Amino acid sequence: MTSATRPPDGWTAVTLLCALLVAGPLVGLPLSFALAPGGLARFSGFVPEALEATAVLVAGVGAGTLVLGTALAALVSFCDFPGRRWIEWALVLPLAVPGYVFTLFALGLKLPGVRSQLGAVAVFTLVLYPYVYLLARSAFLAQSRTLLEAARGLGMSRRQAIARVGLPLARPAILGGVALALMEALADFGTVNLLGVRTFTDAIYRVWFNAFDRQAAMQLATLLVSVTLTLLLLERFLRGRARYQQNAARGELVPPVRLRGPAAAAAVIGPLLLVGLVVGAPLVQLGAWSVQAVGRGLLAPQFGAAARNSLLLAAMSAVIVPAVAVLLAYGVRASGSRPAALAARTATIGYGLPGSVVAVAVIVPLAWLDRRLGDVAGSLFGFDLGLLLTGTVIGLFAAYTVRFLALAWSAVEASLLRVPRQLDEAARGLGADRLDVLARVHVPLLRAGLVTAALLVFTEVMKELPATLLLRPLGGDTLAVSVWQATSESLFRTAALPALLIVLVGLAPVVAMISLSGRRRSELEAAQAAGSWADAEVAA
Amino acid sequence: MSRRKLVVLISAGGALLVAAFAGVVIATSGSSSNELVVYSARSHYGEEQPFRDFAARTGDDLTLFGGSASELYERIRSEGARTRADVLITVDAANLWRAKRAGILAPLRSPELEREIPKDLRDPGGAWYALTLRARTIMRSTARVKPGAVATYAGLGEPRWKGRLCLRSGTSEYNVSFVADRVAKYGPAATERLLRSWMANRPEVLGSDADVLDAIADGRCDVGLANSYYLGRKLADDPRYPVALEWADQRGHGTHVNLSGLGVVRASNRKDEAVRLIEYLEQPREQAEFARNNKEFPVVPGVEPAPEIASFGSFKRDTIDVDGAGRQLEEALRLMDEVGWQ
Repeated sequence: MTSATRPPDGWTAVTLLCALLVAGPLVGLPLSFALAPGGLARFSGFVPEALEATAVLVAGVGAGTLVLGTALAALVSFCDFPGRRWIEWALVLPLAVPGYVFTLFALGLKLPGVRSQLGAVAVFTLVLYPYVYLLARSAFLAQSRTLLEAARGLGMSRRQAIARVGLPLARPAILGGVALALMEALADFGTVNLLGVRTFTDAIYRVWFNAFDRQAAMQLATLLVSVTLTLLLLERFLRGRARYQQNAARGELVPPVRLRGPAAAAAVIGPLLLVGLVVGAPLVQLGAWSVQAVGRGLLAPQFGAAARNSLLLAAMSAVIVPAVAVLLAYGVRASGSRPAALAARTATIGYGLPGSVVAVAVIVPLAWLDRRLGDVAGSLFGFDLGLLLTGTVIGLFAAYTVRFLALAWSAVEASLLRVPRQLDEAARGLGADRLDVLARVHVPLLRAGLVTAALLVFTEVMKELPATLLLRPLGGDTLAVSVWQATSESLFRTAALPALLIVLVGLAPVVAMISLSGRRRSELEAAQAAGSWADAEVAA
Repeated sequence: MSRRKLVVLISAGGALLVAAFAGVVIATSGSSSNELVVYSARSHYGEEQPFRDFAARTGDDLTLFGGSASELYERIRSEGARTRADVLITVDAANLWRAKRAGILAPLRSPELEREIPKDLRDPGGAWYALTLRARTIMRSTARVKPGAVATYAGLGEPRWKGRLCLRSGTSEYNVSFVADRVAKYGPAATERLLRSWMANRPEVLGSDADVLDAIADGRCDVGLANSYYLGRKLADDPRYPVALEWADQRGHGTHVNLSGLGVVRASNRKDEAVRLIEYLEQPREQAEFARNNKEFPVVPGVEPAPEIASFGSFKRDTIDVDGAGRQLEEALRLMDEVGWQ
């Protein structure tokens, strides 16, 4: 029987439903141009301004992360120096510092010139370079010794061999990393808002809340999405090639050059200073401010509720989002149908999308549903439902699922891919049905992937600012929201303790990754683990 | 794992998940329906004791929901008849005016409030009442600018401050309200001239009033415009903070004053408690507490401002015309965009 005549498959239906729930709201964004054709005309000044800021960010953050990330990756991959094992992992730690937390630190210390486009470029470069670093490093380490040795045999010096063979081979991975860093920078709201840089995310917020025009906000969001999708496609394209090359280039590791004297000292001190500036100094300063805040009674009155809300939202999302991801990934595998695969691709589009875009996209259909539900409940049962979707955290969970599904999906899918299909078939041949296969073959094998997915979603939700800010229900302030509110009022001490908690929680997956790599023997394996972690973190 | 075990596990897990989900929804959605919900743009000013005192006194639960005044306005508007807000508190007049015009606020008659609060500090229809006053005036460096060297808003536009003027961004509610008030009182042409003279000084535009003060203290600017309580906070932290304020336009109409105000939400079904809260907050004792906590000016005559601000002497305040300024909001935004006040 061909697939065309097969009755509709249950798993395909499940996959399609997931995709519809996640991607449906996003499809509605361009509709805003049809609903209010002249909407954006009132804000004609916002678009060129946002385009200019976007161009500056793309150029500055692109160049900054490219240079910093690649240089550090080359340093730890091709050279050896005392403490290298520690330093190569310490260099990942800035991933745990959200841009707006570093901004709080920089503004609180009154570092000169932060409140500018250049300041934003510097902040993003410092907190986002690890994307480039991780991918470049795993690409460098995967390069075979034979290629570099062949280059040297042809008369190149070691340095020439690295520059003319090593770097070009890693180019797709490096550019992929840059694309990811740029997507993060464009999705950011907290940093640019606090620094007064007028990007699209800031414009969306201003149009929505200073001019109260949701349609125009949706139109701006549509414009931003088109920029982000371009980057996403670029990244997928480059990453595809990077994978291919990594697999093609197996062999022995390149022996690193042993640095001595001043060179070794510089190789140790440089990275340590960098990590000290981006992670160490903020932690110490935030700690000191927190102590002062507690001592002088400057904590926000809602601090306790905000901490509780952050934990509850993150924990709940860490269950919901991976669960949807398993449904999706398993649906694709079980049905093997083309629509299901396409649906999975569509459903995971949300990660590249800024939280404010997701919020705008989600709130309109939810508010509409809310009104309908309320009317139905009222007329049928005489029961006042209140605002079931937009008045509670349900709306927030919807947004988190849209935004972070890709993250969980790639972690789950990665471990599902490691389960060979023959295993399914063997189990089926032995008389098991699909549910049996899931229970006795997949669940045990998926455990690690699920834990990774849950951990990633948990920390991302803790950090998430724009969607939470726009969709939080009554009483739903989170730590991230309190940091942003206090910082925008220049109440740095009040902002410090919530910010500190966010960073400490964010360190968890990074530290977990480090300890995981400690257990592995081969450096190559560790590098690939890092690569797949970055993969999961950024959800290719 | 056997098949039966999995089915049991999935159903148990599912049930647990649903229960947990419901729990989280309830836990994060405020608390009982028997509570007074205040949407307050003041909530990030730190602990404000009067709200707690009221809750302790009446035994009511009081939930403060924070956000910027315009966020809260947009939220109530989109929640419509199903909003849970009972009281809306803004930190500027423009959003009170918007809320009134959008029909969000219910008119409230209270002889007590009408007796206590001066006429221009409450809506003629009773839709809102001022809670505190905030003067937006000239700030100068005590090290580089002599007292009285700049005494008017127009003075900030003199060429001698070229490159030495700091302003907060043009999207700030306080600046928009200031400009709308000027347009209402002096007309668009005169206001445009004023703004253009400021812009000709190539001001450094900063993100908050506190940053404007810090820029003056650090020597990046000599003069600026800010709300007086920001200076009060700085001086409470550090009595030797090198910035002083000048009460602007004392020989003219007086210093521009904005207000933080509040009103009862029309969709509230606890209007009586809402009124009681408002009356409570407007008592002299609580007014003094607001003045002490955030260094603002009380609206009730006879209540002393905080010592940090009182040290600058009393001043003549310009009249407040919320409706007049409100009608000029769009024009103000257009003007600011046109002269390039970003």
